[in-house]
Amino acid sequence: MYDTSHRVENAVTPKDIKIQARKVQVFYGDKQALKDVDVDILDKTVTAFIGPSGCGKSTFLRCINRMNDTIPIARVEGEILLDGEDVYDRRVDPVQLRAKVGMVFQKPNPFPKSIYDNVAYGPRIHGLARNRAELDDVVEKALRGAALWNEVKDRLSEPGTGLSGGQQQRLCIARAVATSPEVLLMDEPCSALDPIATAQVEELIEELRTRFSVVIVTHSMQQAARVSQKTAFFHLGNLVEYGDTDDIFTKPQDSRTEAYISGRIG
Amino acid sequence: MPLSWALFASFLLAAAGYIVGRSRAFATAGPDVRKLHSRPTYHGTSVALAALLPALAVLGLASVLRLTGVVTPESGLVAGTIALIAAVLGLGVGVMRIGQEYQARNVVERMVLGLLMLSSLIAIVTTAGIVLSLVFETGHFFQLYDWKAFFFGTEWTPRFQGNSRLGIVPLLWGTMYVSAIALLVAVPIGLFAAVYMSEYASRRVRGFVKPAIEVLAGIPTIVYGLFALITVGPLLRDYFAQPLGLGNSGTSVLTAGLVMGIMLIPFVSSLSDDIINAVPQSLRDGALGLGSTPSETVRQVVLPAALPGIVGAVLLAASRAIGETMIVVLGAGAAAQMSLNPLEAMTTITVKIVSQLTGDSDFNSPETLVAFALGLTLFVITLALNVVALIIVRKYREQYE
Repeated sequence: MYDTSHRVENAVTPKDIKIQARKVQVFYGDKQALKDVDVDILDKTVTAFIGPSGCGKSTFLRCINRMNDTIPIARVEGEILLDGEDVYDRRVDPVQLRAKVGMVFQKPNPFPKSIYDNVAYGPRIHGLARNRAELDDVVEKALRGAALWNEVKDRLSEPGTGLSGGQQQRLCIARAVATSPEVLLMDEPCSALDPIATAQVEELIEELRTRFSVVIVTHSMQQAARVSQKTAFFHLGNLVEYGDTDDIFTKPQDSRTEAYISGRIG
Repeated sequence: MPLSWALFASFLLAAAGYIVGRSRAFATAGPDVRKLHSRPTYHGTSVALAALLPALAVLGLASVLRLTGVVTPESGLVAGTIALIAAVLGLGVGVMRIGQEYQARNVVERMVLGLLMLSSLIAIVTTAGIVLSLVFETGHFFQLYDWKAFFFGTEWTPRFQGNSRLGIVPLLWGTMYVSAIALLVAVPIGLFAAVYMSEYASRRVRGFVKPAIEVLAGIPTIVYGLFALITVGPLLRDYFAQPLGLGNSGTSVLTAGLVMGIMLIPFVSSLSDDIINAVPQSLRDGALGLGSTPSETVRQVVLPAALPGIVGAVLLAASRAIGETMIVVLGAGAAAQMSLNPLEAMTTITVKIVSQLTGDSDFNSPETLVAFALGLTLFVITLALNVVALIIVRKYREQYE
């Protein structure tokens, strides 16, 4: 049905593929932001999108859970298949899609609510807990999953905005994890964090991979090398190269990739 | 008369001082302007201020002395002359000061600071003055009329012959009733309109809808009053009050409340719209990214984040409602009575203030002076509203910032 050998290296069976993008193009008004992107994202794998500013990596990330719908002038063409189903199909409700495909943003954006209510937000709107005890359980699991539980367990009723930047970002990750997504999209999740908080988030990403597929956009090539198994390099709206992270960083096939990772463009 | 001439002359002197100071600064600098500590325009301004400020001080003092009756109005000529002399002396001193080292810029900056402080002081002093005059006249009223009868009296029947009953309760009841209806109309409609404009409407629709709603804010309240009198009042009487047997008054609390509510819609919607727009987009993205529907996002994330501002907007609308007069006169009538029936005529504090002060009665009678007591009560109520608003807003801020 799908040509899965395309760009994906050996030993991958179709059921390991979580997301398949086919000829994805994005336009902002008349400007084309993304050209013919084809990529297969694997389940239980960290995939990093790297590339210079304005290369389209964040745009592509936001296509996967249809966050580009909120931008009136944005137009998406092509197919993005999540478990074989096109997320841009007319029958797909973006609200349900986003419950399955969670997102963590560049700037920590906790809601003006308590820590508990921040994490409980998703489970509440999707009715994932039947009573308070179950909800408590979900919140605790999510906070433990985001390595935040020990720091906040005694002040769950305090506002989430009162936490430090790194804690806020882990709170946002906990919030996304609480809805048990199948894919977690992270748009430069560490760009507003200091090195210690970054290390904590990276450790967390490593752990999250055991449960679902993580796609991370990052400006830091070191970060991509540290956390990801697969890397895609974007340049000027094109997906230039996609492959195992080790290969991309040690023996890039394309001269543009080589130029970028050696610091000559970007 | 001499005072205003002196004022005019001082301004001319100041203008002349600016030109003289500026050219003298250029002359002092020689070929290289950079030798001057301050640019020539600052020297000019400092000379102008040196001439103007002493003259203004003299004239201001003279006015105060004349108003308080310490000196006679005929002394105006003397005061004007002194002011002019002060201006000329100031001009002279200002011009003499000019030199390469003279820090005219710092002097001007200090003067600007003084001017800004003076402006804010005027606003505060005026408020204090208004309150003091109200308190003074109210005190006068309570010497003539028992305060318990005023605050707890449930009857409002002023008589020109004296022996009036001046109880505030019916007026207060009318004020609260009308305001409550107005807010019940304005707050939901205004807030929903704001949510539509900021969250759902496309840029083009918003560009049309927002100004269209704001047109409402530009309609004079007397025109709203006419609308209440000739359209809404008869409509409510003919289609609700009479068929339901609830009365046959053309003016009613409901009429005034509805029309006033319409008047308040743009206040609530415009302010709330600005506040909702100020909520960071990242919060909306976060909520949508978790799979919230747009309305869940608005209800659970955007509105709570915008709440302090919205409370402020509502309380602002409330103080407008309490202070509104024309719509009540024409819409609700002038009958001071207490009733639960919204289709009966009632009246408010502001309406009675007007009618007590526009009568023919003696200014020192309690019937007239009661207007000040009413005014002070109204002021205290709106002040309390504002304080409560501030407390709510501050408490919320502490929690979430």
